[in-house]
Amino acid sequence: MDTLKFAGKVTAGRSTPSSGWDGVIQRLRAAVRKRPAGGIAVLFVLLQLTCIAGGLIFPEQFRYLNPANIRVTVMSVAPLGIMSLGVGMLMIAGEFDLSVGALYSFCAVFAATIANNHFGGIENPLSPFIGAGLGIGIGIAAGLVNGAVTIGFGIPSFITTLGTMLLWNGGVLLYNGASAVDFLPKAPFAPMFGGQFWLMDSGFLWFLGLAVVCSFVLHHHKLGNHFYAVGGNQQAAIAIGINPAKVKLIAFAITGGLAAFSGIVAMTRVSSVQPGGGVGMELRSIAACVIGGVALMGGRGSIVGVVLGTALVFTINDVLLLLRAPGFYFDMFVGALIVVAVILNHSIRRRSWT
Amino acid sequence: MQGEVRVTDVVPEAGSEPPPLYEARNVSKRYGNVRALIGVTFHVGCREVVGLLGDNGAGKSTLIRMMSGIVKPDSGEILADGKPVRVESRADSERLGIETIYQDIALVDPMSITRNIFMGREITNRFGFMRHKRMAELAVDVLQSAVHIAGIDHPDAEVGFLSGGQKQAVAIARAVYFKRRILLLDEPTSALSVRETERLLAYVAGLKQENVSSVLVTHNLYHAFMVCDRFVVMSHGQVVFEAAKEETTIEDLTDHVIRT
Ligand SMILES: Nc1ncnc2c1ncn2[C@@H]1O[C@H](COP(=O)(O)OP(=O)(O)OP(=O)(O)O)[C@@H](O)[C@H]1O
Ligand SMILES: [Mg+2]
Repeated sequence: MDTLKFAGKVTAGRSTPSSGWDGVIQRLRAAVRKRPAGGIAVLFVLLQLTCIAGGLIFPEQFRYLNPANIRVTVMSVAPLGIMSLGVGMLMIAGEFDLSVGALYSFCAVFAATIANNHFGGIENPLSPFIGAGLGIGIGIAAGLVNGAVTIGFGIPSFITTLGTMLLWNGGVLLYNGASAVDFLPKAPFAPMFGGQFWLMDSGFLWFLGLAVVCSFVLHHHKLGNHFYAVGGNQQAAIAIGINPAKVKLIAFAITGGLAAFSGIVAMTRVSSVQPGGGVGMELRSIAACVIGGVALMGGRGSIVGVVLGTALVFTINDVLLLLRAPGFYFDMFVGALIVVAVILNHSIRRRSWT
Repeated sequence: MQGEVRVTDVVPEAGSEPPPLYEARNVSKRYGNVRALIGVTFHVGCREVVGLLGDNGAGKSTLIRMMSGIVKPDSGEILADGKPVRVESRADSERLGIETIYQDIALVDPMSITRNIFMGREITNRFGFMRHKRMAELAVDVLQSAVHIAGIDHPDAEVGFLSGGQKQAVAIARAVYFKRRILLLDEPTSALSVRETERLLAYVAGLKQENVSSVLVTHNLYHAFMVCDRFVVMSHGQVVFEAAKEETTIEDLTDHVIRT
């Protein structure tokens, strides 16, 4: 056995906060600094408080607290949110997937076509489940292909998935043509994936549920730990016995599967799917992750951050809609937000070491 | 097998000794045009500290990395306890009880000290979920074992914010905690203070009592002479000199390292 000498002091906690308001603020500040998403959480809370105040002061002009508005905003979060969970984990593992937007459309169109035309058609309550299962299977398989090509040939995933993005974008047109596909499943599929509950819809609940699962995997399971290790320093991970190929393949597969699932959830809510509906989502989900504190270089980030990043993007979208700003303001604001968020996260991290 | 001829015959009576814990026979490795190892024969016996010496670029780290399973030899044989084995991944070398402090430290900057120590060997429940508290408790103890460095008593501090010496201490602590039969130390003291260096060297010498052998790579021949029982000098990918401590002197070693 080890002859360890346990001399010396055992961990003395960080300066113990004094009681009262000072203590609360001090503890809050420590929490903000320690978390990778600390900066974005502050920004999110401030924006929410401002919007709520605005909604209370000008209930007629700025209908932020109107239930209909809340419902629409919450509903729109799920597709990008679910996709971003995968994209964020993959980025933490040090890789990108630009094909998620294309997969989002392809897998949904595929699932709808299968459900409509096979297994007794859409009248059969089981056929949408089979279609969705196969669609998600394709998403996972496509993710594995992205990973295998990237790792097998040692090329940047940016390039691999740029290629597969174009491949799937073209593939959906080849498979289906440019027309929209209707998707009108019966119960229980429809309420499970496209139902409405109070201010929320089932898509949002799926997003929250998946976020909790992903959070457990990423932060508490050894697989998540390996994502961070491989993304943070691949050579060190190898030296210590982690197989980066295996870890990254799993991350790619999760990303592909979640992209497919997000497409199916979005399609169920609006009862149809547009080939090409996912174009641009890959960049928006990367933006949401970066805003939420996921490092572009890998090794850093959190699920809370990804959720907050997505929520922030949609809050801004909502505010601009309520203010009747033209659509192009959205991209401009998100663009500025990306830069501000990254600067904020950097400065917080630098100051946290004193 | 037992009567193998070595560069210098340091085994007193062949046959009575147990086979070496680890033995590489005639291994070669090239990186493109660079021949990093050329027909190297090297062994680590029971309860000994081997000093691996040589100029920059001699191939010491390549040999260490090969023993650790992260560099595959192009040719040659590897034996553990006298039996031929394949060491082609870190998992293989781990099975042989080899633990390494790498020259480039091999830590992940954005991760905490605890997570770095247990990276790849997380303590989990049976579903693979990590037992954070247990790991953090162990990390505190581990950090105080071989070297005690000020400023790393927070096991959840991020490694990226540590100083060079503090990082090295974490890498040492990790290897020391998991060591079983052979500890490989590739310039482990390059960033340590004089006091911590002495402590680590004393620790390495003491490991023999626990039946752990070590290989110490260093450019400091005085350090090597303090703790090593046997010296192997490499130059340009080859073993050029090998001697037990009793058979040589610092001057002699210096000569071989400089001249070749
Ligand atoms: N991954 C690699 N790719 C190409 N060449 C390499 C690689 N690793 C090592 N080499 C070369 O192999 C030779 C031996 O390198 P090695 O790192 O084993 O030397 P060393 O004895 O550890 O030197 P030092 O004392 O400076 O650490 C050098 O010429 C080096 O340039
Ligand atoms: Mg070296």
